[in-house]
Amino acid sequence: MAESDGMKNQVRALRLDKGLAQGELAQALGVSRQTINSIEKDRYTPSLPLALALARYFGVTVEEMFG
Amino acid sequence: MTGENGGRVCTGSKWLTPAMCVGFGGVVLLAGWLGGQLVTGLIGLVIMACFGLVIAVSGRSETIRGLRGDARDERFAQIDLRATAATGLVLIVVLVVAFLVEIARGHSGNPYTWLGAIAGLTYALSVAVLRWRG
Repeated sequence: MAESDGMKNQVRALRLDKGLAQGELAQALGVSRQTINSIEKDRYTPSLPLALALARYFGVTVEEMFG
Repeated sequence: MTGENGGRVCTGSKWLTPAMCVGFGGVVLLAGWLGGQLVTGLIGLVIMACFGLVIAVSGRSETIRGLRGDARDERFAQIDLRATAATGLVLIVVLVVAFLVEIARGHSGNPYTWLGAIAGLTYALSVAVLRWRG
């Protein structure tokens, strides 16, 4: 995936709502903590499977999370 | 590449890359021994073994873990792909410059001519195969 094109995502807000640390979310999704950090800072756009996994994990749509 | 492992962290052995370093050092030593340059071969083995040791015992830095090959996920696969592309680009630029320098000095340009040809053909073939695979 290419770098973010300026979209603001809700990953950090949703994670904090659940009271999760980046490492805990990373472990739940099977990626590194640095990857979660990069997604939250819009430095990395996740692949479609990872974006879907994130959306399912938080019970929201991909559009709600990344739109 | 992205999504090939479903975005999951690849938890291969952290000893694989260090072992490969030592193995390659052994090959360098063998080549040096066969060529009558045992000292050069030994130096190669020591350098490769030291590099392998450093990345094996280093901490939990993401860069070191990436070099080591353990705990890679889809983002690191992208980093690896870009780093590989950058490395290839630098090598091709060096090849072209070396070829031009050799030509300007009145030499044949070898072996840079063949190396450049291999690089160009590999790139063209890769584009064709990857395009065909979709």
